[in-house]
Amino acid sequence: MYEPKIIGFLCNWCSYRGADTAGMARMKYPPNVKIIRVPCSGRISPELVLRTFREGADGVMVLGCHIGDCHYSTGNHRTAKRMPVLKRLLEYSGIDSDRLAINWVSAAEGEKFATVIKEFTEQISAMPPFAETMKMEETK
Amino acid sequence: MSDRLTSLREAIQQVFPQVDGVLGIRRGPGGIISPYLFHSEHPEELEALAIWPKEPLPDVLRKIQKAHPEAKLAIVCRGCEERGVVEMMKHSQLNWDNLTLIGLQCTKEEAEFCRCAKPYTVHAKIVVGEPIEGVPDPVTEKVAAMSREEKQEFWKEQFLHCIKCYGCRTICPQCFCNICTLEDEKFVETGRLPMPNPSMYHLIRAMHMTAKCVACRECEETCPADIPMAVHFRLIARDVQEMFSYETGAILEQKPPQLLVLEEGEYERTGLPH
Ligand code: SF4
Ligand code: SF4
Ligand code: FES
Repeated sequence: MYEPKIIGFLCNWCSYRGADTAGMARMKYPPNVKIIRVPCSGRISPELVLRTFREGADGVMVLGCHIGDCHYSTGNHRTAKRMPVLKRLLEYSGIDSDRLAINWVSAAEGEKFATVIKEFTEQISAMPPFAETMKMEETK
Repeated sequence: MSDRLTSLREAIQQVFPQVDGVLGIRRGPGGIISPYLFHSEHPEELEALAIWPKEPLPDVLRKIQKAHPEAKLAIVCRGCEERGVVEMMKHSQLNWDNLTLIGLQCTKEEAEFCRCAKPYTVHAKIVVGEPIEGVPDPVTEKVAAMSREEKQEFWKEQFLHCIKCYGCRTICPQCFCNICTLEDEKFVETGRLPMPNPSMYHLIRAMHMTAKCVACRECEETCPADIPMAVHFRLIARDVQEMFSYETGAILEQKPPQLLVLEEGEYERTGLPH
């Protein structure tokens, strides 16, 4: 079985601390997710997600504060509005939208963090590598 | 056809005293169709007034208004162009108060050409032609019915033909940002053809047209490669309606989802965990 490459964008104020909490409690979760810390989940524009796939990621996660808890008050409203649309667009383009996951993880939810990571890694592992499914033929 | 043209001429004549100019299209020298600002001092120019093929008038209107913010202008607009004007107004690109809309209703043939669901105006007070019902969009339905693999093949094949002329972006009445992500090398590689798969250019453009595309089909019309890209925008428009109850260009007072803070319970409709 191949080792999927997964990129997790975690907001600094909740989800990244949730990851810390999980780490401090020594919870076990698969190491496939490479974490990128961002100021807010609202920073993750659709084009960043698309580029991440373009660079060969098999799955992308965007984790932020729960609605109402965003450090910038409504930053995650952006996430909540545009990521679902991006998921639909992926489907319309023939890309499995399950490759993109959005979730809310607070600083206290270390356990939820570990579960979310574990489940997503399993889900992505069950799919073929993204680059392989998108292979572009050489131009004639 | 000619009837509609005559009544449009009359409508414009009627509006002339109240405005500084009326934006429409004319058949110029050599039979070339182009946008034209008609003026009451030269009513004879209305002889050259034309109605088809359509031109991206809202964009021209926006540019004229920018240069002459105080000018009172009228615009001849079809359903799609009216939606374009409305969306521009919502995104602070136009001064609505200085505008008079002359609504031109499309014929069945025109609507079929555009695969248009709403070939009629809803806000214009002055109306030319009889409004007709929308027509189905077989291309969008065809793609919607495809399996995931078929969709991927279909778009891969389509985008392979893209020559990256940026025509679809440039002609779009809803593309008015000063800085365009499609020109950002971080996202769309320069000097690369054919487009990589997935095509960053087209997917980014589709995302950016969310709740903005007014289904005018100018982009497809202008594309030298005949790529039916509006299919993406139309499918997303359905989602926007389902998720945010927002219909582009329909209700003047309704804020577009981009500018909206979601109320409790609203974001649940997007299907996210909460
Ligand atoms: S149909 Fe094309 S040109 Fe017209 S608003 Fe939509 S994206 Fe822009
Ligand atoms: S108009 Fe057609 S060829 Fe030109 S950039 Fe758009 S999709 Fe590509
Ligand atoms: S700061 Fe966490 S989502 Fe905005």
